[in-house]
Formats: sequence, C-alpha cells, structure tokens
Amino acid sequence: MKALRRGLIVAVIAVLVGGFVKLRGKGGVPPTSGGWRELDGPDFR
Amino acid sequence: MATVLLDGVGAVGIRAARQLVDTPGLDSLLIAARGFSYAEDVAASLGARAEAIELGPEDPLPAGVDAVATALPGALVPSRAQRAVTAGVPFASTVDEADAIDTLLELDEPARRAGVLMAPGCGLAPGLVDVLARHAADALDTVDEINVARAGSAGPASTAAVRRARREPAVEWRDGDWRDERRPNPELVWFPDPIGARECAPVTVGVALLVSAFPGVRRVTVRLAEPLSRRLAWPGRRGLDEGWGSTRVEVWGWRGQTRESMVYGVIDRTAIAAGTVLAVTTARLAGIAPGLAARNGPSSGVHGLAALVEPVPFLAELARRGVKAAVFEGVAVA
Repeated sequence: MKALRRGLIVAVIAVLVGGFVKLRGKGGVPPTSGGWRELDGPDFR
Repeated sequence: MATVLLDGVGAVGIRAARQLVDTPGLDSLLIAARGFSYAEDVAASLGARAEAIELGPEDPLPAGVDAVATALPGALVPSRAQRAVTAGVPFASTVDEADAIDTLLELDEPARRAGVLMAPGCGLAPGLVDVLARHAADALDTVDEINVARAGSAGPASTAAVRRARREPAVEWRDGDWRDERRPNPELVWFPDPIGARECAPVTVGVALLVSAFPGVRRVTVRLAEPLSRRLAWPGRRGLDEGWGSTRVEVWGWRGQTRESMVYGVIDRTAIAAGTVLAVTTARLAGIAPGLAARNGPSSGVHGLAALVEPVPFLAELARRGVKAAVFEGVAVA
C-alpha cells in the first residue's frame, strides 16, 4: 500500500514536471523590439 | 509569344492558371487535369487563351509547348518531369515533398544533356523562401547559415505532405555535412501576424536545394509548422490563419568584420502565393517575362529558385501581383 502511494506521488510529480517543461517548451527568440516592414519600391531598385 | 502547359488545377494550380493568362506574352495556356470536364470548366472560366487538353501521364507533350508547370501531388511529378526532359522543355513544379524533389534532382544530368532548366520547388517553401534567402545573401559578403520556416499549406495534398514531412526523420546541413535528426527538436518561430508564434519541426524538404545554391554555407535548416486541425485549434486561432500561410527566412553571414542576420517573411493565402510563384517562374522559363532577368548561373539542370532568378525583379513582379515580402527590422532580444 505504501509502495503504491509512493508510486502514485512519483507519477503525479512526473506529470506536473513534464507538463511544465512542455508548456515552457524550447523556443526561438521572440522579437520584442522592431517589426515587419513590407518591401516596396526603394527595396526593388 | 509562348505556349505553356499547366498540369494540375487544384488549389494552387488554379491560381497559377489565372496568373499565367494575365501574363503579357502568353499566347496559349493548355490545361490538363485528372478529369477532362473539370479542365474544360476551368479553361472556360479563364477566357480565350486557355484551352483544356486530354493528356495521360504516358502521353508525349503536345508540340509547341515552351514550358511546363505542374501543381500536382509529389508522387505524380517525376513522370511529368521526365516527359519534359525528353521533350527538351523547361519544367517548373510546386512539389514540396522530399522524395519527389530527390527524384527530380536525379534528373539533373539528363536535363543538362538536354539543355533544359528544371525548377522543382516553386511554391512558398521550397520556392519563395529560396528567393528571399538569395535576396538576403546578396546584401552580405558571405553567408554561413540559413534557417527557413513555413506555416500553412495549400489544399489537402499539401496538408498531408506537411504532416508526413514532420513525422519523418529530418536532415539538416551542418558544418558541411548531412546530419540526421532522429529526434527532431521543435522550435518556436515568430512569423508575421496574424500567424504569430508557431512550433515548427525540422524537415528534410528543401534543404538540398538551398545547400546546392549556396556553396560554402555552414548550416541549413528547414522547419514546418503543424497544420491546424479543423477539429482542434486554439480558441480564436481558427479563422485567423485557416488558408493563410507564412514563411520566415533568417540568413546569417558576414558584412565586413561584422556578423549580421537578415530576416525576411511573407504572409498571404498559401495557395495564392504558391500559384503566383509558380506562374512567374514558368513565365521566366518560357521567356515571356523579359523583366525577370535570369541569374548569371546555370542554363540547364535541376535547381532551386535561389540559383535561377534574380531576387529583386522577381520579388518586384510578385509584389506587382499582390504577393508582398516583408523584412524584419529590429532587434531580437532574449
């Protein structure tokens, strides 16, 4: 019974940690400054 | 004046057809499709310059064709490419499946012998991303890294191809060698709005075309975003990017003593952008787009668009037709 309870606790912790890591993910770099500008006439000369 | 054969009039092909009939210098657009009556309907909607033809996969090309454009699923493309090489006619395709592109690259030697130019990737990615990578590279002294990403697909066949590509082991070019990515690592990529940030997995498709167009490049990656399911989407996401596609091209290199990056992107309806790229490329191959100067490069063989077109007039022509690229101006801060 004790082993079962320990196993359950470990499983719950693993799921929570796994979920946290999944949500945080691994990512590129968010562009926090600047923006997109359409290429227009001068860019094509 | 030129005659173009368009094989396949699905989501992308029908947009390419419209763009081609609106191209000055086109004399006749021959349209082949799986169902002749459908091809007839499409031709009737395009006006007098379009004509439906019955053309089986084993039939020879009709006489007088100056260029062939295909917007077909990958499995059907190699036989059409082989037929074009046999007839000595330039060939363009929107194919975005790695196996099909590999098969087309095997036609490089026969195409060179026949003096035929073949452009296997003429959609959004591969395709427009190659042109944007060349545009960025032309602004740098040397290029050492190219990272490409695409979100969006055009039609059911394209969506299935994206899902398949994401499931398969990926290959990337690193330090002058091919590296298998057995456990591909997804990465968040920031596309122009309204697509925004999407998780993109590395894939194989399009890497080889970029590597061959940029000799000496140290690293090339191509990533694709998972197509949004019709049943499962983030609240508010559906409707924002259904049908929309976007690309992001990041090129790193050296200008003088400084290492710099240039980031270009496109956002448009995927089918419209891919169809327009196919049409403009085909017009260039058929010799009816005098403004689209050919890049000083190969006159035959199988090549990506980065080796075939001058980016500035090509992008200007796309912009004139409504497909506009954008540059990211700013600082990426962690």
